Order: sequence, then structure tokens, then C-alpha cells
Amino acid sequence: MPSKAIDRSHYGGQYAPMGGYVKNGMFAVLLGAGVTVVAPLLLAHHAPSAIFDMKKPVTLTGAVTRVEWVNPHIVLFMDVKDESGKVDAWKFESNPPKWFSKVGVNRADFAAAIGQEVSVLIVAAIDGSKYGYLEKMTFPNGDVIAVDRADIK
Amino acid sequence: MRVHSRIPLVVLAAAAGALAYSAALTYSQENVSTATAAKPNASATPGTIRRTADGHPDLSGTWTYGIALPATNLLRIVNGQTTRTQFDQSARNKVWDDIPGALPWDKAPSYKPEYQEKVKSLAANESKVDPVFYCAKPGTPRIGSPRKIIQLPKETIFLYEDMSGDPYRIIPTDGRPHRANANPSTYGDAIGHWEADTFVVESTNFTDATWFGEDGYMHSDKMRVVERLWLSPEGNLLYQATVVDPEVLTKPWTNFARVIPPSNDAIEESPQCMEDDGHRLLNRDHHVQR
Repeated sequence: MPSKAIDRSHYGGQYAPMGGYVKNGMFAVLLGAGVTVVAPLLLAHHAPSAIFDMKKPVTLTGAVTRVEWVNPHIVLFMDVKDESGKVDAWKFESNPPKWFSKVGVNRADFAAAIGQEVSVLIVAAIDGSKYGYLEKMTFPNGDVIAVDRADIK
Repeated sequence: MRVHSRIPLVVLAAAAGALAYSAALTYSQENVSTATAAKPNASATPGTIRRTADGHPDLSGTWTYGIALPATNLLRIVNGQTTRTQFDQSARNKVWDDIPGALPWDKAPSYKPEYQEKVKSLAANESKVDPVFYCAKPGTPRIGSPRKIIQLPKETIFLYEDMSGDPYRIIPTDGRPHRANANPSTYGDAIGHWEADTFVVESTNFTDATWFGEDGYMHSDKMRVVERLWLSPEGNLLYQATVVDPEVLTKPWTNFARVIPPSNDAIEESPQCMEDDGHRLLNRDHHVQR
């Protein structure tokens, strides 16, 4: 088994960030065995920062109306209610279906929310459209599915 | 192995039966005599490489998914219980310096001067112009290593999971040449042969619509790709690709070898790719994927 590994985190191309964007500050981590693992980067293509205001998570409540288990992101539709009772149709994307598959979450786990009042933590589109990136869903019974970022409580 | 006494015998018997049945299964081999049919993995000795009846290493199996996924963990609360889940993505990005059998490699391909600006521009605008971002096929070798390999005496089949549509490649190993009249394609026309214990796949006849790598690595329709696959004594699959394109490159480019562990995740149909973010992008922030 090869024992010597090299920190290639500063390289461009297939194994390092483009344009310096790194999620959660993860980079090359030196493991005890002397292997360098270049941290895989978030997402299949565009960075969420190209669309969403990543610094301002927002909590919304409403009823889930539809779940689409598609690539490159799963998509959820929600009728979001504001304080005045006005309802707006929102669309959210979240992590890729393969990611959810790997961590043991199925479409059915989200589809269980259809018709129910849930609260979601999202980052919203910078352009003001009713579009967001879903980071956490809290079900009426208190169950939670969330992307585990340090700032999600 | 000690058996827990509380497991009903009928369950154990059923499990043993299922294992025996799956070991007896062989893939349909219409052009192969039973004398050369592949044996199930007979080598249970750690440190040895399992081989087919014809003596070649047996690359058959399911191998770890190698496309980048978000590095975040899942946090889940069910009935008041909190769990955090993460999964091993080391097949994606582990870069070893001295893999036995690997060729020397370069960080990046060397483009001819007249192509360098174009490549830079494609890379900078990747989130707008990369065909893969918009559900197109990544092609060979950008698709990476296969998720499942079925190695038969006269052909080897590569199966992949990809959001563009789960491609397969059938690689004849019976000595035939490349097809003379095939249309160009994104995955190319492949033939395979063995060099000692390394399976060498040579592909040609590509369209020029794909990138061979993440950073705007465009190519011509003269591109040829040589992929090398071999097994480590620990049972990992090693995969290394070389791109040959005398039209756009000053020399062939060999990427680093990837170490792909075996996987217990059965391959599954990739959900349909439906891209809806391209028109919303406010800047060019993006990431590599493979």
C-alpha cells in the first residue's frame, strides 16, 4: 500500500477548488496514515453562492405541495404563509439525490411532509425570486432532516 | 464464525441458500462456451488477486461511486433522537504518490498555444458553458471509473451511474479492431486487451462536444483515450486515464491514478437530470465534480 501522499490542495483541475470557493473551509486533511485527502467540494456544478445569499438563512413555514426527486438537486415546492396569511408559492432545491441516498434519506421521507405544515430553513435567491436552497426541514412532530452546517441549530 | 443462538435456523438456512444461489449465477454469455465461463471469486485469501478461469485478474464487481457530492453531513432528528451521518468520499479525491503500476502523471494537460485562451475562458465560465452542468453526457474519460464491471471471456462491460443517463460501455476483448463504420460518439469506440495484469482500454471515434476534464478541457474529434485498470492486492480497483489528442495537445496527458474501493451500494438508476439554475446564476462561482 502506498504510504507517501502529497498535499495537492493548491493544485487546479480535478482535485482542488476553482476560484477559491470552499464549503465549510474544508481542505486538505492529513490523516494519521500519511494520506492526504483533498476534501470533495460542494455540489455538482455551480456554487450555491452564485444564486443564494449564503449568509442569511431564513425560516419559512407552510405546506409542502410537491417533491421532485431529480438531478442535479432534489426539488420541493411549498405554499409559504407569511404573518398576514398571504400565501406564496416557493420552490426549493437541496442536495443531489445521490447525496441523500448515501446518507439514508429517501424521497418518501420528504414526501411524508406533503400537505403538512412544516418549517424550513433556507437561503433565498439574491434576485428576490421565491427560490431557495433548503438546508433544514422541521416536521410537525418535531422530526428534522438537515444539512449539518455548524450554523444550523 | 460464531452464530448467535437466537437467530432462527430457518433464517440461517434461507441466507445460506441465497448465498449459494447467487454464487451459482453467471451472466448470460451467448458467445462463450461453458468451458471458459467465469468462476465466482474463489480467492478468499487476503493479499491475492482473484482471477478468472483464463488467468486474468477479475475486475468484476461493484465499485465505489466516484463523483463529488456535498461534503456536508446529514443531521437527522427522529423521535427526539439526533444522528449525524457522513459517508466516505475517499474514492473521489485520494491522491497517492506512489501507486504500484501507475504511470507518471501531470497536474494539467498541455494545450497548444492557440488553444490556451479558449480553455481558460471555458474554465472561467464553466457554470454557463460546461455541457455537463446542463445534463449532457460527460463522455470518456470524464465519466471516470465504472460503478460496476462485468468481465466476460470475450468482452468486458462497464456500467456507470450518471445523471445524464447511466451509460454502459461494451469493450470487446477478442482481438477485433475498432469498428470501421461506427458513428462518432461521446463514449467512443472501445477495444480492450491485457498487458500483464493491467486491463487496457483504447477508445477512439469521439465527437468533439465533450470535455475530457473539468477545467474547460475541450478536445478534437481526433482524441483517443487509453484507460488502464488493475487490482491491488488489497482488493481495490485502480483506474488511470491518458488522453491523446495531437490536434489540441502538445503531448498526451495522463491524469493521476484513482484508488476505487469495492462498494456494497448496488448501482441504481440515476434520477432524471432537470437543470433549472442556469438562468439564475449571478456570478461564475463553481466547483469541479470529477
